[in-house]
Amino acid sequence: MNVNPTMADTQIQTRIGALWQQRIHSLREYEVVRDGNVFGSGFSNNCVYSSEYDLARRYLDRLMTQYHGDSFLDIFAGHDIFNDAGACFCIQSSVEIPGIKFNIDGFRHDIISDLTLVHGVGEKTQRILKARGYETLEDLLHHPKFRTAAREVVEQLSIGNSVDMMDLIGNRHSRSHPLALGTAGFYEPDAFVFIDIETMGLFSRPIILFGVGTIERKKLVVRQYLLRDIADEQAALVATMEHLSGEKPALVTFNGKSFDFPYILDRLSYYGIRPRSRIPHFDMLHFSRRRWKNEFPSLRLSALEKEILGIVREEDIPGQMVPEFYETYLRTGNCGPLVPIVEHNKQDVVSLALLFFHLLGESYGC
Amino acid sequence: MAVDDLLRLLNVNPVYRPRVVHIEETEPELADYGSLDKPLDESLASYLAQNNIRLYSHQCEAINRIRTGRNVIITTPTASGKTLAFNIPVFDQLAKEPETRALYLYPTKALSNDQLAVHTQLAKFTGIAANPGIYDGDTPQSKRAAIREHSRIIISNPYELHQVLSWHAKWSPVFSNLKYIVIDEAHRYRGVFGSHIALLIRRLLRICDYYGSTPAFVLSTATIANPLEFATKLTGRQFEHVEKDGSPHGKKHFVLYNPYFDGTGERATHQETKDLLISCIKNDLQTLCFTGSRKMTELITAWARDDANRTSARLANSISAYRAGYLPEDRRAIERHLKEGTMKAVVSTNALELGIDVGSLDAVLISGFPGTMMSTRQQAGRAGRKGGESLTVLVAQANPLDQYFMRHPDQFFGSSHENAIVDITNPYIISGHLLCAAAELPLREDNDKEFFGDSLQNILPELESGNLVRKTSHGWIYAGRSRATEAVSLDGIPGETYRIICSGRLLETLDRAQAYREAHKGAIMLHQGETYIINELDLETHIIKVTPTDVDYYTQPLKEVDLVILDELESRVVNGMKCCFGDVEVTERYTGYKIKRKDTIIGLEPLSLPPLSFRTKAFWFVPSTDMEQKVIGAGLDLPGGLHGAEHAIIALMPLHVMCDRWDIGGLSSPSFGERGEPVIFVYDGFEGGVGLAEKAFEVLPDLFSTAYNLVRDCGCEDGCPSCIYSPKCGNDNQPLDKEATILLLAEFCRTSKNECLEKPVMHGSVIF
Repeated sequence: MNVNPTMADTQIQTRIGALWQQRIHSLREYEVVRDGNVFGSGFSNNCVYSSEYDLARRYLDRLMTQYHGDSFLDIFAGHDIFNDAGACFCIQSSVEIPGIKFNIDGFRHDIISDLTLVHGVGEKTQRILKARGYETLEDLLHHPKFRTAAREVVEQLSIGNSVDMMDLIGNRHSRSHPLALGTAGFYEPDAFVFIDIETMGLFSRPIILFGVGTIERKKLVVRQYLLRDIADEQAALVATMEHLSGEKPALVTFNGKSFDFPYILDRLSYYGIRPRSRIPHFDMLHFSRRRWKNEFPSLRLSALEKEILGIVREEDIPGQMVPEFYETYLRTGNCGPLVPIVEHNKQDVVSLALLFFHLLGESYGC
Repeated sequence: MAVDDLLRLLNVNPVYRPRVVHIEETEPELADYGSLDKPLDESLASYLAQNNIRLYSHQCEAINRIRTGRNVIITTPTASGKTLAFNIPVFDQLAKEPETRALYLYPTKALSNDQLAVHTQLAKFTGIAANPGIYDGDTPQSKRAAIREHSRIIISNPYELHQVLSWHAKWSPVFSNLKYIVIDEAHRYRGVFGSHIALLIRRLLRICDYYGSTPAFVLSTATIANPLEFATKLTGRQFEHVEKDGSPHGKKHFVLYNPYFDGTGERATHQETKDLLISCIKNDLQTLCFTGSRKMTELITAWARDDANRTSARLANSISAYRAGYLPEDRRAIERHLKEGTMKAVVSTNALELGIDVGSLDAVLISGFPGTMMSTRQQAGRAGRKGGESLTVLVAQANPLDQYFMRHPDQFFGSSHENAIVDITNPYIISGHLLCAAAELPLREDNDKEFFGDSLQNILPELESGNLVRKTSHGWIYAGRSRATEAVSLDGIPGETYRIICSGRLLETLDRAQAYREAHKGAIMLHQGETYIINELDLETHIIKVTPTDVDYYTQPLKEVDLVILDELESRVVNGMKCCFGDVEVTERYTGYKIKRKDTIIGLEPLSLPPLSFRTKAFWFVPSTDMEQKVIGAGLDLPGGLHGAEHAIIALMPLHVMCDRWDIGGLSSPSFGERGEPVIFVYDGFEGGVGLAEKAFEVLPDLFSTAYNLVRDCGCEDGCPSCIYSPKCGNDNQPLDKEATILLLAEFCRTSKNECLEKPVMHGSVIF
């Protein structure tokens, strides 16, 4: 057993740490492209304009100077939270949010009048049926041909399982149909969980920040679980998942179906934690796209918040550069680089919630 | 019979006759059938019956053992029906338990595609729902989920597996039910590449363990000297070996043909091959000809066609070259023409030995020893149709290995000495895979020791100080900023990589040592049969710019080697001489290069490159004062003798330890270091070592005696490229004294009454 590594062994090992650090450090998941390089930005989401890149690097230097010597608690107002998986840091803030009054009757009317939810009934058939006096799904229960199929749909609606309903609407229309968004109306405000994560990369690396928003007493409370150390990730994951462990939670994200949620599932499986299955998930990217597809050139959250909500961010960094900012913090201990990451994430959660209520209100507000 | 006619020609023709140094004849063998311990599923049994397939003894032996859950390595020759031997147990299990999964790993696309066809056919006939699918870099995104969910037999390759392991959550139905891992052509996974694959396999097994499965391995390789050791090193498991071939074959004739039989050759090896090729096809033998390079393939084809044209245009057109880059349609066309008989001869590089089904032909010509006995046997295996007579001719080149065999046919036809090396202790290689493993699941020292041994506690803290992993109460977590599988490549030792660029296009990558040695400014380089000249080697950007050229000269670097012993790990005494193995630091300094045309030096240029220092493993030995005295007393040159012995040992090391002579380096000195003793070093040319010197150290007595036999029996006066001249000698093959070399080597391998073959003394061992 090679218990006492020899001098030579130790010296080889010194080179290994540096060698891999240099290699891994030099790989980037984004391309820096010349400003105005339309093609560069078109082909992949992973490009950063060189002017943005330079600005961000200079900002990083400024932060390092500004926060030099400051401790974590000097900068971030928060507290440690504890659970089975350990401890992690939680930064909490809250924001007033214009609520909406959901027109539940209006929604119920829309959904019960949508005959095309029944298998076999298309637009044309619906017109014919309505002309004949079949106004609602309940009316169809008496129809000789469609009564069986209609019964299935009516039963589903009365059970009120919104995942099933969203599936049904997705199958018959599309996942981004306003009716699908409308099923959110069946939830109390405190059921919504708005989530946005910041990660070390595109996959198979730790999530470094979990932004979770919930509605408490008409305010949006944002809790950000920030990793002071990579070792905190599991605790932060568990804390985040706890928000989704209630009776009837509803997850709201922006692009979470493609990114945030699969990413979280992957990290859960990395730690051997079973995820809860079938949480209703409202991905605002899809609903936004359907609603504003031809109106704005970019449908990113940052673009929509500007156009729709009038929010402009100052001193923001491109999302793709979050890993290197965080890594600088890990390497140097200087908490400065974390500041824009936390700000960016908080704004993401807030804008997400605002966008959600805005769009819901547009379709089904009173 | 056509083969007899050709043999008669070889015997009678005044040019051919003296060159034929040996003909090995093997009598025909009838099929030896076996029986299965347990009956097969009905659908499989009827498949065999309806296709008139009776299972050979080795197939039954393999199937029986695989079905009891053992790990099996099969080393019977190509075309002995190995594929059926592993497909049958897999399909049988699948028939009993439909959730069974099997993973098949192949090194090339061509092989993967061929196997898919075989599986699909078997599934179709038997009705067993295997749903075989290929999952690799070319599999479209849209098909991937379906293969993961529905395919019971998944065909892939190591590069894809390397990426797939991070997605194990999506693969959980596969990993939970994985029963078999089949690795074909496993001998490819040796040397540095083998080390990577061995660690990749341990990562795979770790994930299987997490999902609760313990798959069994089926390895298929060509004949090697150490199948069980190799299999265990590659996978970490214990194996059973199936080697006795039960398949039938006709009478075999193997001719050793030496154009340098009298010490000097009139013509080059490949021209001699061309003549033999023409003789073969004129005698109506369909012939397959193997050469070592694309260029040679083209040349031999061109010369042969020219020659044949004098007889008839049709004859000329019946000769074709085959290259790796051919499209599937072209391959099919060649296969068809061969089957129809319109194609009489195919000339190919060694790449053909892997894959494509040209079936068997009447004769195989091998132009130049392909580097290993293993490759030679695989190529020779193509000769002889079902039960028919076959002819193989090995045409020797003027270098030590080839000439050694020509003069010692018993060594050639005896059992294999070739050891396939897989070393899993190189920290540079292990560290990369530890990073990947940490990214797949948190690394736990207790759980994962089974897979990675002591390296966990030695290497992980180092990686942590580079901020790449983090120790937590749940294990070591990967914390790097980029994806581990992107930073870790399965090829080569991580270190500075240099890129060879021609007109903006990447040709290949080299590590630093290779770059200095082969791609310095002014060097002539061969790449896939084309010649290039290096215009620039940029040490900062690591970019090497080349342009194509067709000059008729080549270059050889001159180098000075310095060596420092860092640590002696093992020692033993062989014939009164102390031999050691351990860590050394090698510094190579490339001072200039020779420009040569054929064997003449036409120029010399200086080089200004910084010295290359790396740590690696080496073996060394110090001739005793007695031995020194003998040489000096005989008026011979000690440095020349040491140097010659060094070259001979390096030249023949590939005989025992499968490697290329370019993978190893050497240094000899009449007065080394503080003690001023004479010494010969042989070291692994790779940072961290890859097990070559280590294995050679184990078989030193054999190595000494083959080297001795080579030099003693060489017909030259003062040394030649066939014995002690080395093509890569940084000292321009100076000083060399053949007689001194013979004397020393005789001393090294002289066995005394008290045979000193005691077990090596080990100061530490890392085996897992």
